[in-house]
Amino acid sequence: MIAHAAALLVVPIILVGVVNRTKSCWAGRKGVPLLQAFYDIVRLARKRPVYSSVATVFVKAAPSVVLGTAVVSGLLVPLLGRRTPLSFPFDFVFFAYTWGLGRIFLMLGALDTGSSFEGMGASREATYSALVEPAFFLAAGTLAAASGKSSFAQLLRFRPDDPATAVVWCGCLVALFVLLQVESARIPVDDPSTHLELTMIHEVMVLDHSGPDLAVIQYASAIKMTVCAGLLAALLNPLDAAAGPALFAAANLGLILGAGIVIGTVESLIARLKLRSIPEYIFLAISAAFVALLASTLRRGGLG
Amino acid sequence: MIAVLAAGLTLMVGAVLALALPGNRVRAWAAIATQAVATALILAAVIPIVMGGAPISAQWSWPFPFEVVRVRVDALSAFFLAWSLPMTLLGSVYALGYLRPYFEAGRNGGPHFALLNVTSLAFVMVYTLENALVFLLGWEIAAVAAWLLVIWDYKNQKVRFAGFNYLVSTHVGMFFLVAAFMVMHSQTGSFDFGAFSRFLHQPGALRNVTFVLLVTSFGLKSAFFPFHTWLPRAHSAAPAHVSSLMSGVIHKAGLFALLRFTLLMGAPEEWMGWYLIGFSALSAILGVLYTSSQRDLKRLLGYSSTENVGIAGLGFGVGVLGLCWHQPVLVLLGFTGGILHLLNHALFKCLLFYAAGAVYLATHTVDIERLGGLVRRMPRTAAFFLIGGLAISGLPPLNGFVSEFLIYLGLLNGAVPTGRARVLLVCVAALLAFIGAVSALSMTRAFGITFLGQPRDSQVHPKSDAPAPLFITMFLHAAGVVLIGLWPPAGLWFVRSAVGLFMNLCTPVPGGLPDLSSVLMPVAGASLVLIAVVGALLLLARRTQGSVATQTTWGCGYSAANTRMQYSGTSFSSQFAAIFEAVLPQLRSEDLPVGYFPPDGRLATHYVDAVERRMFQLLGDGESLVTQAVARIPDQPRLAFAAGLVALAVIVWLIVLANGGVA
Repeated sequence: MIAHAAALLVVPIILVGVVNRTKSCWAGRKGVPLLQAFYDIVRLARKRPVYSSVATVFVKAAPSVVLGTAVVSGLLVPLLGRRTPLSFPFDFVFFAYTWGLGRIFLMLGALDTGSSFEGMGASREATYSALVEPAFFLAAGTLAAASGKSSFAQLLRFRPDDPATAVVWCGCLVALFVLLQVESARIPVDDPSTHLELTMIHEVMVLDHSGPDLAVIQYASAIKMTVCAGLLAALLNPLDAAAGPALFAAANLGLILGAGIVIGTVESLIARLKLRSIPEYIFLAISAAFVALLASTLRRGGLG
Repeated sequence: MIAVLAAGLTLMVGAVLALALPGNRVRAWAAIATQAVATALILAAVIPIVMGGAPISAQWSWPFPFEVVRVRVDALSAFFLAWSLPMTLLGSVYALGYLRPYFEAGRNGGPHFALLNVTSLAFVMVYTLENALVFLLGWEIAAVAAWLLVIWDYKNQKVRFAGFNYLVSTHVGMFFLVAAFMVMHSQTGSFDFGAFSRFLHQPGALRNVTFVLLVTSFGLKSAFFPFHTWLPRAHSAAPAHVSSLMSGVIHKAGLFALLRFTLLMGAPEEWMGWYLIGFSALSAILGVLYTSSQRDLKRLLGYSSTENVGIAGLGFGVGVLGLCWHQPVLVLLGFTGGILHLLNHALFKCLLFYAAGAVYLATHTVDIERLGGLVRRMPRTAAFFLIGGLAISGLPPLNGFVSEFLIYLGLLNGAVPTGRARVLLVCVAALLAFIGAVSALSMTRAFGITFLGQPRDSQVHPKSDAPAPLFITMFLHAAGVVLIGLWPPAGLWFVRSAVGLFMNLCTPVPGGLPDLSSVLMPVAGASLVLIAVVGALLLLARRTQGSVATQTTWGCGYSAANTRMQYSGTSFSSQFAAIFEAVLPQLRSEDLPVGYFPPDGRLATHYVDAVERRMFQLLGDGESLVTQAVARIPDQPRLAFAAGLVALAVIVWLIVLANGGVA
């Protein structure tokens, strides 16, 4: 429990560092320190926030809700392997809707300032998150159907043992990876480092957040990325139940950081998609999960 | 039984008093007082049944054509009565505040309050009578009363049109219901539901036809897609309390009847379950797509009714499939989820309509493109609208999540027997997730554009926040929304005995069934953790946000931004609508400025209901479309050849049929 909480709070900082270091390696730069995200958060937290004169309570409340939902969703995901602090049947439904709550408040915080740029960001966020939601449920539902289990920690223990289940497993991995890219605003869906407001999604929603509020939002989005990477890691972890919990947790954390390297590599090699092609990219996730779903019935002796 | 009869009589007396007494306040209070008495009587009668008591029944023998009229309050009737009457009462209280400007202008409110009483009376009739003729009478009373309530503002031509549209649609539904009753009467020679039940227990083509007729009729009543076209018009034209009662309470009669006939049918067939699921999924998905682009707040909420009856219908579909597959777990989850969603929808939809009514009362418009920044002037209404919006998007920790969670549990359950069924149900679950996310989009948009930012139209001058009757009504509904969200057993307790009726239809399993309270408690616990974490963070943030500096909103370098440059509702949804253009076509009328010294330009866009347009286009110009298509055939040899082949095939088929099939 305490180890889980510690991992949930510390790993995001390192994961962001790993992604940035990977990107700088590909670009041939020396790169910022691994803990730069931490220094940034500390620096921002010391500043005095500035609020828009139009804004009301929503701008102030949004960061807390976003961070709170990110942390609670993190409690449902097996970051350290097998067990999670919060686990109950069909907790993945709660997980998805908790993210939905955080997202709504982020969007309301954006609309609160009356800025057209932030409205634009909120509109995009709402659109893409609505599209990616079925992909997550298809993937989770497929794992539930294939494994006959219902809580996150059990679902993610699904491992392939024949060609049909290998298709199920791969399809779910692809869907979850695209989910990660959409939800934590990574290339090719969104570029977290751009400064051109017209093309952004996440960053443009927080234009009027400053100081500690901005720090909280950046931290929350790092946590969300870690949680997503945790899903992938738990599904990938090659160790079986015989391995000790410490070894298992270490492997899981290693895989999470490995996911960071993959994210950074994708970001370095691929350009950001045009906004109008993003739905097609998300459709890739939906189709992958759908193929996985179809394959999950093959194992049961054909469709029927 | 005496209590139910007394309640009916009290309501009638109230209606007469509301018409006869002088002075609007006296009339209103007469109606409210009699409704309160009737509600107390009904609650006294039905609460024991909701808690698991024995049903009460009585019967009269009347002369032809009624024969035997049975009055029966079983758990299902008790459940519906237990919230329909109190909510109508609250609606009447709301009307007191909402109609005040009209009363001050000298309008006679008597008939309106009398009609509210009559609506309650119609509930008592529809939910308790077990004779087709009298049932139809109650059904018709509800329909006509709703129509008359809608056209309160009858001097406005648009309102009259909306009302007429509703009247026609609801009677089209009535035709289907009458047809179904005629089929059943012709087979049984009786109007009694018990006799219908015996007929419906025998599988056969006639039963299938009856089922389709019934579902169509009840679907029209509850505004399922594609029979929803009357709904957004009627909801935007009616006074707020009437929209909310229609959407939240009156149209639940359709779903009540659906459940009633499912009970009468006993053992449904598998295709009926899939039919319900398909119908409901279509309703939910298209309803929610339409909510994403409406500019009229009440119209938006109207479409969202189509979505939510669809979600409840998904639950019923899962339950019906469970009955066919003899899987009591699915029956339990499906019907509990569906019935609880009905109640939840009534709570949060009424809340939202009441909040929209408060906005209308203060600003005289519900066009979100003209509103903005209302949270400063109407903080209480804004809070209520936000609670309703979060609940309707199915987000924890509010009540919408509880019922949707149960429906997910049914859809993703391991008890589904075949692989094909699993694939379909997981896809439906994914669809439900999409519906939830789009609903969140619509509600963020509706709340964000209406209440946040700055006022968009300088001609809109919001007056004070909601007056006391409006506030009380909204507060009570919001309390229900929060209560069921935080303490799900409260909701389960309410629906348990109604679901028990469906559980009686299936054979019990040896291992016993999961206790839904224990399934939902971890969810409620997780919701509490969420509230605790967010609450702690908010408190922490309050500390650090102590001394603040204020600046204008960052305009990305542009410093002369004005309030008209804010993101509008249409632009918020345009990207989403572009993806679903087939069902959300945008009409543009533009006169753009051109040249070096252009005159004033003009651009107007709005989204229309594609289904409604196409449907009426087809009805209006159908024969000319067919003629045009046929006229093209002789021009093109290919088409002529194909048409000839089709005709030949049809002729051969008919000849074979006439000879009694292929030997």
